[in-house]
Amino acid sequence: MQENYLAKWLNGDLTDAELAEFENSDAYASYKRIADTTDSMQAPEFDADGAYQALKNRRELRDNKVITLHPFRKFLRVAAVAAVLILGSYLYLNLSDETISTSFAENKEITLPDLSEVVLNADSEISYSESKWDKKRNVDLKGEAFFRVAKGKRFTVATDAGNVAVLGTQFNVENRKGFFEVTCFEGLVSVAFNNTVTQLRAGSSFIAIHGEIVESGAAHTSEPSWMHDESSFKSVPLKYVLDEFERQHDIAVKTQDIDLGQLFTGSFSNSDTGLALKSISVPSQIKFKFEGDKVLFYGENTP
Amino acid sequence: MKGKDTGNVCDEQVFDTLFKANSKTIFNYIYYKFGNEEKAYDVVQEAFLKLWENCSKVPPEKAKSYVYTVANNLYLNVIKAEKVRLKYADKTLKTTHEDPEFLMEENEFKQKLDDALNALPDNQRITFLLHRIDGKKYAEIAEMEEVSVKAIEKRMHLALKSLREKIDGI
Repeated sequence: MQENYLAKWLNGDLTDAELAEFENSDAYASYKRIADTTDSMQAPEFDADGAYQALKNRRELRDNKVITLHPFRKFLRVAAVAAVLILGSYLYLNLSDETISTSFAENKEITLPDLSEVVLNADSEISYSESKWDKKRNVDLKGEAFFRVAKGKRFTVATDAGNVAVLGTQFNVENRKGFFEVTCFEGLVSVAFNNTVTQLRAGSSFIAIHGEIVESGAAHTSEPSWMHDESSFKSVPLKYVLDEFERQHDIAVKTQDIDLGQLFTGSFSNSDTGLALKSISVPSQIKFKFEGDKVLFYGENTP
Repeated sequence: MKGKDTGNVCDEQVFDTLFKANSKTIFNYIYYKFGNEEKAYDVVQEAFLKLWENCSKVPPEKAKSYVYTVANNLYLNVIKAEKVRLKYADKTLKTTHEDPEFLMEENEFKQKLDDALNALPDNQRITFLLHRIDGKKYAEIAEMEEVSVKAIEKRMHLALKSLREKIDGI
């Protein structure tokens, strides 16, 4: 006999053979009588209509209470929205930061409230608070920019990698994914990076790659090269050179079989794409070809 | 039911349909559990009132199991104190057997059956009676109780087995 055969029997699920066997058992008569008797059993009367009517009455009682609350709630909602709008526009008009950004292959010159100048390189963004400028000269930077700071109070450039503070000078800050570089062209710049402060004299650079400070040679120019439509590198991993190429020429770069960690020293043009490609590929001993609107750099030995 | 259920539970008609389809079963369910009609009546009201209050949050296809869950939880901690008393359909009284000895034996049997039913664990009694009296399928009971069909079969088997053992004095 199968498992739970009594349940199967009550449900008419026994096979003929099983049923015959069951009917021949001693206990069958008792089981049959229980089943038959319980079949004729009845639960107490339930007045469904009456219950529904009673339920409706109780429902209305509760619903009414809710309705009396509605007008006030609506008023509160409107008031809350209005308050947010008023506060929001106040904050926007008075306290919001000025934000200026550039996209690929674009540079912008910005004059700050104290006549300090900022030149934004491609794919970069600065923001500062105009209303608080008199108290604090503070600029948030993503990407790369050159600063010519008017003499005055401490001037701070904040990036997610580190802060650069000066009194009055000319310097360049580049903060790209994993790459942070500050070059001082005039005066003295202090760079706060990972809790250490480095003083940069004119003509020197501070470079950190993936959080590691890297020794770098001195710059011998008075302005960063990108301001003359040229990107220059001194012992920089090829990866960052290609990233910069992407930004300056707005062309997506793909690579295959090349060592992105090899150091690159040299420069490429920001205006002439063909020349720039050669400037990168020849000294690095790699090849390139166009694939649709992308450019693929690949190793010399790749078939 | 499915066609009518596809609206919103807040919709009077959908709610009405849900009530008509499930209130009697919930009433019986709670009665089989506690043996108290008044309590069972209250549970039906409370469970559907809860459903109405949350009608916007409960999708129609979940409404049924929602009311069963609420009904089940309402008296979770109440211990069954009363006897479940069940009536018998008139047909047994209209049988041709008027032999007083037979009638006495019949009443005695019903008395024993009553006692045996009340001695069953709650979940076995509920399952057994939902099947015998309400004609619910094992699958339906499994859905209400949120257990497998197999578990329901087990309960049925054990229930019938212990009823017989009690009545036959084994």
